[in-house]
Amino acid sequence: MKDMNAAVALPCWHCGQPAPPETPWQATIDGLPRPMCCPGCAAAAQAIADAGLAGYYGSRTAFAAPPADDAAPAGALYDDRMTDGDGVFTVEGIRCAACVWLIERRIAALPGVAEVLLNVATERLRVRWDAAACRPSAILQALRAIGYTAYPYDAGRHGARLERARKVLFRRLFVAGLAMMQVMMYTVPVYMAGDAPDPEVMDADMRALMGWASLLLTLPAVTYSAWPFLRGAWMDLRRGLPGMDVPVTLGIVAACAGSVASLVRGSGPVYFDSITMFVFLLLGSRYLELNARRKAAGALERLQRAAPAGAQRLLAWPATREVEPVGAAALVPGDMVLVPPGQAAPADGVVAEGETEADLALLTGESRTRRMGAGDTMPGGAVNVANPVVLRVTSSARDSTLALLVRLVERAGQDKPRIALWADRAGAWFVAILLGLTLAVFGAWQAIDPAQAWPAAVAVLVVSCPCALSLATPAALAAATERLLRHGVLAVKPHVLETLQRATHVVFDKTGTLTRGRPALRRTTILGEAGADACLQVAAALEGGSAHPLAQALRAAAGAPAPAATHARYRVGEGVEGEVGGVLYRLGSTAFVAGVAGGPAPPDAADGSSAVWLGSRAGWLARFDLADDIRPEAQAVVQACRRRGKTVMLLSGDAEAAVRTTAASLGIADARGCQLPQDKLDAVRALQREGAVVAMVGDGINDAAVLSGADVSFAMGRGASLAQLHADCVLLGDGDAGLRPLAEAFDTADATLRVIRQNLAWAMAYNLAAIPLAACGLLGPWLSGVGMAASSALVVLNALRLRRD
Amino acid sequence: MEALYLLIPLSLILVAFALWIFFGASDSGQFDDLDGPALRVLQDDDR
Amino acid sequence: MDTSANYNYKIVRQFAIATVVWGVIGMAAGVWIAAQLAWPALNFDIPWLSYGRLRPLHTNAVIFAFGICGLFATSYYVVQRTCQVRLFSDRLAAFTFWGWQAVLVAAAITLPMGLTRGKEYAELEWPITILIAVVWVAYAVVFFGTIVKRRVQHIYVANWFFGAYIIAVAVLHIVNGMSMPATLTKSYSMYAGVQDAMIQWWYGHNAVGFILTAGYLGMVYYFIPKQAERPVYSYRLSIVHFWALIFTYMWAGPHHLHYTALPDWTQSLGMVFSLILLAPSWGGMINGIMTLSGAWHKLRSDPILKFMIVSLSFYGMATFEGPMMSIKTINSLSHYTDWGIAHVHGGALGWVGFITMGSLYYLIPRLAGKKQMESVALIETHFWLGTIGIVLYIAAMWIAGVMQGLMWRAVNPDGTLTYTFVESVKATYPYYVIRFGGGLMYLSGMATMAWNTWLTMRGTHAIDAPIPLPQPQRAPGGGIPAPEHA
Repeated sequence: MKDMNAAVALPCWHCGQPAPPETPWQATIDGLPRPMCCPGCAAAAQAIADAGLAGYYGSRTAFAAPPADDAAPAGALYDDRMTDGDGVFTVEGIRCAACVWLIERRIAALPGVAEVLLNVATERLRVRWDAAACRPSAILQALRAIGYTAYPYDAGRHGARLERARKVLFRRLFVAGLAMMQVMMYTVPVYMAGDAPDPEVMDADMRALMGWASLLLTLPAVTYSAWPFLRGAWMDLRRGLPGMDVPVTLGIVAACAGSVASLVRGSGPVYFDSITMFVFLLLGSRYLELNARRKAAGALERLQRAAPAGAQRLLAWPATREVEPVGAAALVPGDMVLVPPGQAAPADGVVAEGETEADLALLTGESRTRRMGAGDTMPGGAVNVANPVVLRVTSSARDSTLALLVRLVERAGQDKPRIALWADRAGAWFVAILLGLTLAVFGAWQAIDPAQAWPAAVAVLVVSCPCALSLATPAALAAATERLLRHGVLAVKPHVLETLQRATHVVFDKTGTLTRGRPALRRTTILGEAGADACLQVAAALEGGSAHPLAQALRAAAGAPAPAATHARYRVGEGVEGEVGGVLYRLGSTAFVAGVAGGPAPPDAADGSSAVWLGSRAGWLARFDLADDIRPEAQAVVQACRRRGKTVMLLSGDAEAAVRTTAASLGIADARGCQLPQDKLDAVRALQREGAVVAMVGDGINDAAVLSGADVSFAMGRGASLAQLHADCVLLGDGDAGLRPLAEAFDTADATLRVIRQNLAWAMAYNLAAIPLAACGLLGPWLSGVGMAASSALVVLNALRLRRD
Repeated sequence: MEALYLLIPLSLILVAFALWIFFGASDSGQFDDLDGPALRVLQDDDR
Repeated sequence: MDTSANYNYKIVRQFAIATVVWGVIGMAAGVWIAAQLAWPALNFDIPWLSYGRLRPLHTNAVIFAFGICGLFATSYYVVQRTCQVRLFSDRLAAFTFWGWQAVLVAAAITLPMGLTRGKEYAELEWPITILIAVVWVAYAVVFFGTIVKRRVQHIYVANWFFGAYIIAVAVLHIVNGMSMPATLTKSYSMYAGVQDAMIQWWYGHNAVGFILTAGYLGMVYYFIPKQAERPVYSYRLSIVHFWALIFTYMWAGPHHLHYTALPDWTQSLGMVFSLILLAPSWGGMINGIMTLSGAWHKLRSDPILKFMIVSLSFYGMATFEGPMMSIKTINSLSHYTDWGIAHVHGGALGWVGFITMGSLYYLIPRLAGKKQMESVALIETHFWLGTIGIVLYIAAMWIAGVMQGLMWRAVNPDGTLTYTFVESVKATYPYYVIRFGGGLMYLSGMATMAWNTWLTMRGTHAIDAPIPLPQPQRAPGGGIPAPEHA
């Protein structure tokens, strides 16, 4: 058995990822030990088995999601927020039917829980509990124990509001669709019986019956379903700006009036089928748009999970060091909070006491940590790596950087892209011309044949689909946004696609953009007698409890759990010292290690990577070169940019040598290092002065200014929230695919603009052909209606093509 | 086709009734989760 | 015994057995009259056994007896299990059973006696129709009452289909059944002439739509996922096509009246909407068949799944053939011929019959406290007997139908008809014989089902299964058994 394990990496029983051969982690399920890939899976699986729910493994149809390894949001902080025994939690990691069963059974078994219901579609868990016997933290903990990450769901959030809006819109759409189908059923017989009220075929009473039935069914569509258009038109008129709702409303009202007049008179065409179809198609397009926005909001909320939820507020600093746990949202400027090592700052603040190193990777994408002491600003979300510090809060969590980002995106989602604004304005002109034309047609027919006047005028209004114009762009953009999101591109500002298509230059940052932004062990150079593996083990042991990115790199490289180090002491800016197996080691900078190893330091590597030294009383043992790997997809993306005729540049704050190496391996001709933020911005401005359209891709706080200055900018989602604030677009991607969404964005931009142009061309061609026909009285009501509906449907369907790849 | 004087109003009434049912169902959350019920029906152990 | 803690399986059991028994009777009647068409001497000159009286007995027995008893059994089972609550009222449910059996027995007596209203699928005279209405109201109360009292918040989609079927049947039955009684055994329809025809086929085709489509789709959406142990392919689609079906079914009726005294535009209306109906129907078919994705291998070894999936194929075929036949041009050939019979029987034997059989084969063992039917091999035999029987049946009738249509419209150059009517009858003879053979095979398949049911259920008592508790309390180490999964 051991031999088999040695040869083959078995899949983890819980999540299906490959487990290391002879993995030490396992869980006993149904009496048999099963291999696990990591402690997280082992713990989750054991918790499931211990709860008597091991049947989950027998009935599931998909592997479980690997349990999250980040620090759990301190559940106790929700206990004072959710006190009425009724709450909703968002649960991540649901993979199949068995997960539903597992989650519901596990929570139902908690003491005090009265009702549990998991909504699989929205991934929300609704729980009712007896406040005296159970607390939300227990629920969150139970879920985490079996491997599911969960958060309380805030219904006030943007995503929830969009969800409610979607529900209402769906109802309106349903009523419109119903009206459309039913009205069609009553108008088709009239069409089939022919136009003349020939009693042999269909007498006037029967026609009237069909007509009145149609009217009854059209009323809900025109009053309830079309309400957003009616209200929009009213607001537009009050503001004096004719938006697209105005022609839509005009069309509906005119067609209704004409139809009712015909009904009452007993002769003349009715347009109820056209009206209902019209309303249905327009609402359909709005529904698509809303759906796209809702999905974007959902993606955003997932982004926002990075914000820590809790804080330890110092009660009476500096008199005592007692802390109370509070929600981060409860912090106000002036609060003093303790930020222990390993935790993130809950809000923006100034360090009041202590000296430490902070990992700002989440905010700035820097792979090196930053030293912070009293008086330094620590932004919310920065991870304290070394020593505990006391922070004086300077802005509430609500206003902290990440929250700002979210609000910015929400606001951006409501803006309209330039091309849509253009379409609106063009539409307004179009409507004005159309109205004039209609009046002219009416007048002309009055002179020639008054009986034709009204039908011709209404036909012109109905057939001249303003909706193709108003649908052409939003439908395409909605579909494109959804596709982009699916590929990991979150458009924060609306003009992204159009500007990207026009871009002539693409400027890349290096650290965190073209490179991973997380140092990895490149090379281990042995200096003493111990082997590379043994040295790594020692290094990993010394860095055992540290959250420092270099420490994580060493631990990752060492692989299997290292022996524990005792008496570990971390010295800010220098390194860590401790005993492993009874021997004292030092790991860190040259000077620090020299203190125990003695003698002159061996030379650095020449390629600009960070060196971490290991030494003991026996002398220098090893040098670990850690550097930031170039993303595997960077090459392909750079080539994709070049293939589209864009010039690629690299501007970085890193040393020239490192920048040159990177540029050479990616084939970028123009690469400059040692660029300060102002230098980068100057370079971009110089290009723009020459008429270039510049796209910028970056991720660090150093890039914020140039991201704002570029014509269109992309920020890496994994990295810098501050940069995301200033960027037009966020590239969401997991580790490996970080840059690939950019190539996808180019493709989508091309496709979208192509579709929009097609739609607009069609709308214009159609109108140029159909309006004269209608004006001459050649188009009956049926044909007008069909023409208008078909034209709109064509535009929407063409736009929907964008959703597919 | 006088039969339609009966059938059409009847049909309108039925449509109104169906619409009322639809809104009632939507209000009470029947359409909130369109993935869960398909899974749940399989969990009902009727052996 | 605390009945509220258990499901009412007794009523399900009663209706399930009734379905099987009436199935044999109704199909036997069908075989008999098929034989009579080939060999008319089989009426023995007895009025009770004449074709004209036995045909409605056959149609009523297969639709109202076999078909609706099957719907009773499955709807009562599904509504209880998906709402996790016992039926609203045991007494009312029992009334629906005995009342319905009374209706069926009354039909079996009055129809051969020649007591009929002459309206297709609505032949039963007025006292029986009143009984039908009363039983139906009770059915609605029990079914909807159970839904109101449910312990699961979401109403599973199958229940929507069953609910629509119940309400629609009530409306259709009452409107079409309006009549003036003259004597205890004779009444006159409130409508006359072509108006009556319109209302009759409004009833007739909506009956197809709401009983034979919606009702059995209810079965599909519960029993196929359960048997295949896979969730419905797209639950979203099931809801969308439900509402589409509800709102478009109303006007297909006139396609039964092409080239009659019905106005042209009404006929055209029927044609257009029959074509539109293709979409929601096929939505259901695709949803059901694709539920098996990922589990196609089960078809090889599981005959119950064979019944279910083949039933959907026949459903697809029938819902394609129907709209095609409602196109006036095609209808001008097919109307009054045996093509109509082929169409009905493909749908009835293939779709309705097979899905009922598949669902009952799932249901019956559970009602007897067993894991499966006594003989799975017999199910397989039944399947093949049935399938071959259907194929023989509809192939024979297709050929006969097209032949009849062509013969009837064949015209000589001088304008006279080429064939006399009796010549077409003679030409149809061999196909009647083949159809009889196909029907006999189908009947023998049903007989094996009756035998298998007897073997499975004999000696067992109706045991009411317990309703699962909502909040399981147990110590770690114990456990609720997880759902079965192959």
